[in-house]
Amino acid sequence: MNAQVLLAATLICGMPFAHAQHKHVHGEGRLDAVIDEGSISLDVELPLDAVVGFERAPKNDKQKAALAGAEKILNDAATLWQPTPAAGCSVQSVQVGMPKFDGEHADIDANYVFHCADPAELKAIETTLFKHFKRLYRLETQRSGPVGQGAQRLTPKKPVLVW
Amino acid sequence: MRAVLLLALKSAWARRLTLGIALVAIALASALLLAVERVRSDARASFTQSVSGVDLVVGARSGAVQLMLYAVFHSGSATNNMRWESFEALATHPAVDWAVPLSLGDGHRGFPVLGTSAAYFDRLRYGDRQALTFSAGKPFAEVFEAVLGSEVAAQLGYRPGDHITLSHGMAELGPEHADKPFTVVGILAPTGTPVDRTVHVDLAAITAIHLDWAGGAPLPGLAIPAEQVRKFDLQPQEITAMLIGLKSRGDVFRLQRHINGYRGEPLLAVMPGVALDELWQTLATVEQTLFALSALVVAVGLAGLTATLLAGLNERRRELAILRALGAGPREIFMMLTVEGLLVTALGVFLGAALLAAGIVTLGPLLREYGVHLALRPPAANEWGLVVSILTTGLLASLVPGWRAWQISLADGLTPRN
Repeated sequence: MNAQVLLAATLICGMPFAHAQHKHVHGEGRLDAVIDEGSISLDVELPLDAVVGFERAPKNDKQKAALAGAEKILNDAATLWQPTPAAGCSVQSVQVGMPKFDGEHADIDANYVFHCADPAELKAIETTLFKHFKRLYRLETQRSGPVGQGAQRLTPKKPVLVW
Repeated sequence: MRAVLLLALKSAWARRLTLGIALVAIALASALLLAVERVRSDARASFTQSVSGVDLVVGARSGAVQLMLYAVFHSGSATNNMRWESFEALATHPAVDWAVPLSLGDGHRGFPVLGTSAAYFDRLRYGDRQALTFSAGKPFAEVFEAVLGSEVAAQLGYRPGDHITLSHGMAELGPEHADKPFTVVGILAPTGTPVDRTVHVDLAAITAIHLDWAGGAPLPGLAIPAEQVRKFDLQPQEITAMLIGLKSRGDVFRLQRHINGYRGEPLLAVMPGVALDELWQTLATVEQTLFALSALVVAVGLAGLTATLLAGLNERRRELAILRALGAGPREIFMMLTVEGLLVTALGVFLGAALLAAGIVTLGPLLREYGVHLALRPPAANEWGLVVSILTTGLLASLVPGWRAWQISLADGLTPRN
């Protein structure tokens, strides 16, 4: 009982901050993309539920395997993200932060950096996230790039970020 | 052939009333469709053009669209102000290249007054990253100097050297800050953005004119003459919003998160391009509905044309029979009817476009108050597409009476049964 009250109080107090900072919607991921002279930086936040179908510490071997499998896919940047081939982009760094299971919801945060040999040719980035994670319905994308800023909603039917 | 054409024209003139009504319906319908398309594309363009070069718009925490509308388009109202200390802290953040404060709330004869710093004129970009230029004069340097947007100057007939007073609030009849007049020192060149409709003054001036005010009215018995305001600290306590430009584009998300979780007070940082795209995303359904409705109206107009031509066939039985007797083949009769319908459609579209132009001239200034600039210009590619599809539908609609005329001109003799 006490723990519940405490939890509720924490949630309510944390709400305005948490809300602006951190939105957690099942099935919906977020992508922040910066396209800047020859480099692409992609910041992705996925609700764990959309990736493996549960949001707590893995309970059995099957769930552990699911988590490990997801981590492996998420680390394969070259498959997950396909920038315009003509731009000659290659993976520079990958960071995948798997959840620590300490709160109400669990998210995966990942950062991908690409370097592009011919940035003028870079027109779009396609993602295969939806093919790997069927419970992911959309990716709300914000971008800042050479032609200014923009927002786009990526979906399994439209998995290409264009500008 | 020429004789047939002349006859067809004369015949159409004889039926001018019914054809005229069909024409008016088509003209109104195409004007509506073209207007929806024009407002859609121009609204998008003028919103997008107003904020090029600004990486973040920051204000008190409210809605992203609300903050944008207020800070950039000067319409609507702010729920709250942000503290000057927050502005200073963010302006000196290592990732920030430049920061410009914005203070709104006063007006001049219906135009918004913006308190800002002189850096505004150097930093703000519009359209395709164009800088603001002065058509006359220079930026303000003193407290009681004002720079006018091109439309303010044109509509009120101001020139550099003129004196103006500001009113408290946006209402045209709000209490006047009559004791502290401003000198117009500069007029900006037209930009097609909300800048044109704005009176720009120094941020310190906004503090200065409110020194002897409290609660939105002058304090009785306290009047601080304009010459003496410099003795006071004119640093504002609060501003409405701020614009931020970054050294590196890559920092935008990090700084946005930093500001949205700012410890000093609840702030909201908005990426203007993202906020506008999100606004259009929400409006997309409305846009599509409006477009579908006006396309339907065009279809109704063209159906009316078909009905008019079909109904006309009955009364034209004798006319068509005589034409046949004079040697016109069924093909000519078919052509005559179809071309008549197509011509009425074409004339209707032309009148519709003219109607739209007239509408832009008369109603354009009204929309400009909301930041939407409708330009009087020849139709763009997407509008030509619409024109062609109206004409094609008109042609299809005219084939029906043409085909019917073909049929009866074969069967009907010179002696109608009734």
